[in-house]
Amino acid sequence: MTDKHLDRQVRDADPYRPDLVARLGGAEQQLLEEIMSTPKLDVVENPAPRRGLPRRLAGAVAAAAAVTAVIGVAAVLRDQPGDGGATPGAWSGPLGLPSAGTGGAGGGYELDLKAAEEHPRLLVGQSGWKITTVYGFAAAEGTIEFVNGKRSIQMNWYAADQYDSYYKDRLEVSKPEPTTVAGTEASVFTYGGGDWAAMLKPAGSTFVELRTSSGWQRSEFDALLASVKRVDAKAFLAALPAEVVTPGKVREEAAKVLADMPIPPGFDVSAVNVDGANSPYHFGAAVTGQVTCSWIAEWSRAKDAGDKEALGRAAAALQSSHQWKVLKDMNAEGDWPEAIWDTVDQMIKKNKAPEGYREGLGCQ
Amino acid sequence: MGSGTEQEDRFRRVYAGNFEALLAYALRRVDQPADAADVVAETFLVAWRRSRELPPDDEIKLWLYGVARRVLANHHRGGVRRERLGERLRQRLTAIVTRDPGSEVPQRLAVQDALSRLPETDREVLTLTVWEGLQPREIAEVVGASAAAVRTRLSRARSRMREMIGDDLGPPGHVLDVLTAIVPEEGR
Repeated sequence: MTDKHLDRQVRDADPYRPDLVARLGGAEQQLLEEIMSTPKLDVVENPAPRRGLPRRLAGAVAAAAAVTAVIGVAAVLRDQPGDGGATPGAWSGPLGLPSAGTGGAGGGYELDLKAAEEHPRLLVGQSGWKITTVYGFAAAEGTIEFVNGKRSIQMNWYAADQYDSYYKDRLEVSKPEPTTVAGTEASVFTYGGGDWAAMLKPAGSTFVELRTSSGWQRSEFDALLASVKRVDAKAFLAALPAEVVTPGKVREEAAKVLADMPIPPGFDVSAVNVDGANSPYHFGAAVTGQVTCSWIAEWSRAKDAGDKEALGRAAAALQSSHQWKVLKDMNAEGDWPEAIWDTVDQMIKKNKAPEGYREGLGCQ
Repeated sequence: MGSGTEQEDRFRRVYAGNFEALLAYALRRVDQPADAADVVAETFLVAWRRSRELPPDDEIKLWLYGVARRVLANHHRGGVRRERLGERLRQRLTAIVTRDPGSEVPQRLAVQDALSRLPETDREVLTLTVWEGLQPREIAEVVGASAAAVRTRLSRARSRMREMIGDDLGPPGHVLDVLTAIVPEEGR
C-alpha cells in the first residue's frame, strides 16, 4: 500500500462531516458574540474610556444571548468609568466603583435598602422560581438569573440611554410584538428555538430586558411575563438568596474570604469595597482582585527599590494565590481564578508585571 | 497592534475564517460532540484574550491548532471546565452529530482502531496531515517539534498503520462517506 492509498484510508475514516456547520443554526455566531463579550486580558495601555459591554454588543446582531449567557469572568470584569486619584495597587472594578463612603464601610440593612431602591426591582411572580445568580447593581447595569427546573430566565438591565441602540439591534432579530410587563410597555422579540426576549421601555435611569433560556413554549413565556411584578426594596432584598453579598454584608463576608490570604502592606481590610449585590463568585472576584492588585503593586515597588526581602514576600504571597480557598471554590464556576493565576505565574516567570494586567484584574 | 475596534474586527475575521477548521479538529478528537463545543469555545476564548498579540494572518490557523491541541490535552486530562460559553453550540452539536453508519464498516473500524493504537504524537502527526491537510513544516509549528522530526514520525506512523491494517482491505475510496443517518430536525 502506497502512502497515498494509506492516506486515503485514513481520510475515509475521518469522523468529521463537512456539512455540519451549515446545520448549526447560528450557534457559531452566538458563541462568537459570547466570547467577544468577555474581557480581553490585554487591553490597550492608553487609559482611554474602555468600551462597555452594552456598547460592544449593541451593534451585534442577536447578541442578547451573549450578554445573558456569560457570567464568568465577563461579568466580573465590567468596565468602569475612570476615577482619578487612585492609589497604586488600588482596585477599580470589576463590579462597582469603590467610591468613598459607600460599600463596605458598614451601614448594614439600611445600606442594602438604599442600594436596592436605586435599581429596578422586578421579580418573577410564579412559584418555583429561584434566584441563582446576581451581579452588578452598583452601576446602571445588573443581572439576575431565575431558575425553575430546566427553565431559566435572566433579567438584565442597562442604562436608559442605551435603549435605542439595543432596540435597533433587536429589530434585526425579529419583529417586535407589543406587550406589557409589570405595568411597563415592552416588546417581545423571537429568537427561535424556543428562545424569547422582552425589552421593557426605560423606567427612570434604566431599562430591563428579560431573556429566556432555549426550549420555552411561547405560552410559558407569556405566562411568566404576566407574573413579573415590581416590588419594594424590602421585598426585593428578601427574595435574594442568602449567599448574595449585599453592601451591608460586605465587611463580614470579606473577612471570610481574606482569612487565608496574606494581606498586602498598607491594605486596609476594613476598607474592602464591593458595591452592589453580588453572588459569592462575583464577590470573591472583587475581593481577590483588590488583594492581588495590591500585592502586584507592592512587588513592583520592591523590585524598583531593590528591596529583595519585600520582593520575596510579595512573590510568595502572590504565588500562594494558587492555594486561596476562595479561588479554588470559584474555579468550577468561571475563569476568574485562572486570570489571577496566569497573571501571577507570568509575572514570576518573566520577573515583570504582565502587560495589561491592570485592566485584566481591574486594578487602577 | 491596532485599536480595540480593529482588533475586534480582526478577531471576527479570524473566527469566521477558522471556526469550521477548529470545530472539525475538535470533533475528530473527542468522544462526545458536546465536548468539541467546549474545546472550540476555550480555544477562541484564548485567542480573544490575546487578540492584541495574535500572530499574522498566514500563521493564525496553525497557532489556533496549537492552542486547540493544548486545550484538548487538558480536556483529556479532565481539566476543561464547562464554560458558560457555547451552550447553544453544545446543544446543536449534540442534536445534529449522529452516529454515522458509514463509520462502522469494517474498513473504517480497522483504520480507526489502528489509529487509536498509534503513539499519541504519531497519531497526531498523521491525522494533522490527512484530516487537517497540513504539511510537515506546519505540523511542526502546531506540535512544537522540528519539521524533520515530524517527517520521521509521519513515516513511522504510516508504516505502523500499514502493519496494523494490512494490505488486504481492498482498494481505497469506496463510497463510504455518504451520510445515511437520519438527522434530527433542527430545534428543540
